[in-house]
Amino acid sequence: MKESLMDILACPLDKEPLDLSATDTESNDDDTEVLAGELTCTECGTVYPIEDGIPNLLPPDMRE
Amino acid sequence: MGILENKGRARVFYKYLSKVYDEVNTFIWTEQMRTEALGLLEIESDDRVLDVGCGTGFATEGLLEHVDGVYGLDQSAHQLEQAYGKFGKRGPVQFHRGDAERLPFADSTFDIVWSSGSIEYWPDPVTALEECRRVVKPDGRVLIVGPNYPNRTLLQKLADLIMLFYDESEADRMFSAAGFSSFEHHLMGPPHSPEIAITTVATP
Repeated sequence: MKESLMDILACPLDKEPLDLSATDTESNDDDTEVLAGELTCTECGTVYPIEDGIPNLLPPDMRE
Repeated sequence: MGILENKGRARVFYKYLSKVYDEVNTFIWTEQMRTEALGLLEIESDDRVLDVGCGTGFATEGLLEHVDGVYGLDQSAHQLEQAYGKFGKRGPVQFHRGDAERLPFADSTFDIVWSSGSIEYWPDPVTALEECRRVVKPDGRVLIVGPNYPNRTLLQKLADLIMLFYDESEADRMFSAAGFSSFEHHLMGPPHSPEIAITTVATP
């Protein structure tokens, strides 16, 4: 996911902002690509993984 | 619940029905219908567009003929794999796994929220429509394509059992309940079945 995506992402449960913690990134000309890391809700603390650059924003009750 | 009361019997029942279900389902969405639906919107190339339930990316491909980039969301990793094959993971589509009834986006984010061939799988369509309304900008548009309620009795019975189909009056009810200020429905389909899909364009 592009780092700029943080401007529009929100926690699917309470719609509060998310914090990004990136563990692997790749710099492009215009944006930073986040390849791995986690998104954490600033309000409820729910953690959403970023897997091979794709944020998994399924609520915990819908994950495999 | 009658016939589907027992889970084991329900599984067998669905398995048996899946052949018919696939037939019903593959009618719904053709390239021509996609073009027709896209024609209902005025899409600017720099619009921010969300494809809810993008699946394998059939509609996403059509949207990319009008915009530079699309935001795609689907709950199924398996379906998304096929979309990654078409567009790459870091190409013009920004992919997300997520739930249509609980969208992971801030309010008033998108110029267009599009969803085709997905509403029939939403357990609570009104909640998902409310979410579409929440994330679209006040001057944006929501476009939903779903299966029109079949007019043949046998298909109606199957339709009632296996997934959501809706006619125009039911669509009126759902879009009103979801709080849209205005909306219009268009029936679409291939020549042999011209009213198989119902496409709604709604204003938040």
